[in-house]
Amino acid sequence: MISRRALELTTATLTGVFGAAVVISSIDKGTGWSTAGVDAGTFPFLTGLIVVIASLWNLARGWLESRAVAVSSSDLRHLIALFAPAVVFVAAIPLVGVYVASGCYMLGTLALLHRFSLPRSLLIAVTTPIALYLVFERMFQVSLPHGALADVLGF
Amino acid sequence: MDNIESLLHGFTIAITLPHLALMLVGVLLGILVGVLPGLGAPNGVSLLLPLTFGMQPVSAIILLSSMYWGALFGGSVTSILFNIPGEPSSVATTFDGYPMARDGRATAALATAFGSAAFGALVGVMLITFLASWVAQVALAFGPPEYFAVYFLAFASFVGMGGAPPAKTVVSLAAGFAIAAIGIDTVSGSVRLTMGIDELVKGISFVVAVMGLFGIGELLLAVEEEVQAKAVSSRIDWREVFRTLLNLPRHGWALLRSAAIGCWMGITPGGPTAASFMSYGIAKRFSPRSARFGQGEAEGIISPETADHAAGTSALLPMLSLGIPGSATAAVMMGGLMIWGLNPGPMLFIEQKDFVWGLIASMYVGNIVAVALVLVTVPIFAALMRIPFFIIAPLIFIICTVGAYSVSNSYLDVVLMLGFGIIGYLFKKLSYPLAPLVLAIVIGDKAEDAFRQAMLMSKGSLGIFFGNALVTTLVLAGMALLLLPLVLQVAHVRTTTKPILD
Repeated sequence: MISRRALELTTATLTGVFGAAVVISSIDKGTGWSTAGVDAGTFPFLTGLIVVIASLWNLARGWLESRAVAVSSSDLRHLIALFAPAVVFVAAIPLVGVYVASGCYMLGTLALLHRFSLPRSLLIAVTTPIALYLVFERMFQVSLPHGALADVLGF
Repeated sequence: MDNIESLLHGFTIAITLPHLALMLVGVLLGILVGVLPGLGAPNGVSLLLPLTFGMQPVSAIILLSSMYWGALFGGSVTSILFNIPGEPSSVATTFDGYPMARDGRATAALATAFGSAAFGALVGVMLITFLASWVAQVALAFGPPEYFAVYFLAFASFVGMGGAPPAKTVVSLAAGFAIAAIGIDTVSGSVRLTMGIDELVKGISFVVAVMGLFGIGELLLAVEEEVQAKAVSSRIDWREVFRTLLNLPRHGWALLRSAAIGCWMGITPGGPTAASFMSYGIAKRFSPRSARFGQGEAEGIISPETADHAAGTSALLPMLSLGIPGSATAAVMMGGLMIWGLNPGPMLFIEQKDFVWGLIASMYVGNIVAVALVLVTVPIFAALMRIPFFIIAPLIFIICTVGAYSVSNSYLDVVLMLGFGIIGYLFKKLSYPLAPLVLAIVIGDKAEDAFRQAMLMSKGSLGIFFGNALVTTLVLAGMALLLLPLVLQVAHVRTTTKPILD
């Protein structure tokens, strides 16, 4: 279970760290006026600074937030059930390519995770990559990653 | 009268067989993304964007804008039939649309929604027809300081009128600007904010950000809420449709008021979502039948729908004439314009007459196509909603992944999209607004350039932003909007503490 307060604090910290990183990395690009005009780092420096200040404000407000549950444990289970396989899918793309990865991803989530009937899951898992191939590589000539596996197999 | 002539010329461009076909495809795809929870207009349009690179700009914009109209209509279908808003901007339609449909008047609810939506869109397009070229003409005289002042005003109005907590809006905006600055600086040529990742030199595409923020973010929210379609009957009774449409003029005052609210929120970038909520709220407060709101009152459907579509349409006015998009989807389209090699802003009306007027004419036709198509296809798309979400969700995820990849054939973009997805989820959950973030990513570079050019003109003095009456007015108006939330809060504290003091 995650409380609203924890969520607010986490988000404010994330944005604050991002802002700080922007500020730090733009300082060495120069942050002011020089003979060439406004230095390259000025604009990012200012925006980063604004992000940091506003994040601190949100952090303080978040501290006062209620501890009521914002994401219940069943919500969290649903979230992980969607997101974890998706991350595995994305991680698998460089290895096996989009086509194999998307087929396995569909089969895995449908048949294993949601106990959907196997023949139907298989049908969807096979149709998905074929549809992707037809739409992207054939109709619009956008080449999708084939992965290291395809290189090995010589496609 | 020049405008009418140009518009007629525009119709000769818009009403050709290929363009009508594109409208048809665009509207259908739009309804599809509008109906599916987890896919919305901004990321629907950005998914199509890489596929338009080989097209004529006017054909491409007709396809994308038609998709936008379709999505606006599609969002209302699920709001009314399933009590599931397909789009954030159609949340307010569920309040009265679903109760009306549940009482067995689904056709009446849908026809009311589509009829008033079409009216809102019509008002929006007419506003563009008569005002856009005039605004562009005024804007032609703008120099860098004026431009920066207009950008400043646009962003300040998000903070002042967007409705989200001001500090959160500021984070969203400023983070967007920082993201826009990543990569090569166009002025000095130096590489900024890549944090040691070489591939970031090319910058972060707004398409990737939109795909993650809206696509993955929405998906995570939808799966958490466990959307389950409990449909009411979706059969359309055509006689009822015509009866309802003929009855609409009786709500003339509500229609006009909502259209005005919508146009205002579309032009000052408040966006369709804020417009529909505001319009519903005002209708509820001032309607003599306000007690019936929430139980299937027609005006409770008319008000948000009219405002939603009026805002969605008129959001293209500042995009075309000033280069400042009025909504997240308009921002994505504007990014498209820049990719196709066009320069959004007043010069469009001089250099790209065919493009501008072809688009404006297509908005009239496209909305008619959308109303007709959405009525005919309601049963089909309603059936689509019966597919379990656990099948749709991974499919949407795959589509977003492939979409993010196809922007520049980069795997890093896919990883970035995942990151933006988490941010999108957190931001939506905690009511950080996403539209300013996207807007800032799209026009961040232009705003920065305007600022730096203005500073070159003044040799580093900020005084240039108070150099003439126009700039001063714009900057002061922007500052007033920034301070508005603070003033309102103080006023609120005063009025709530007064009784205690008495």
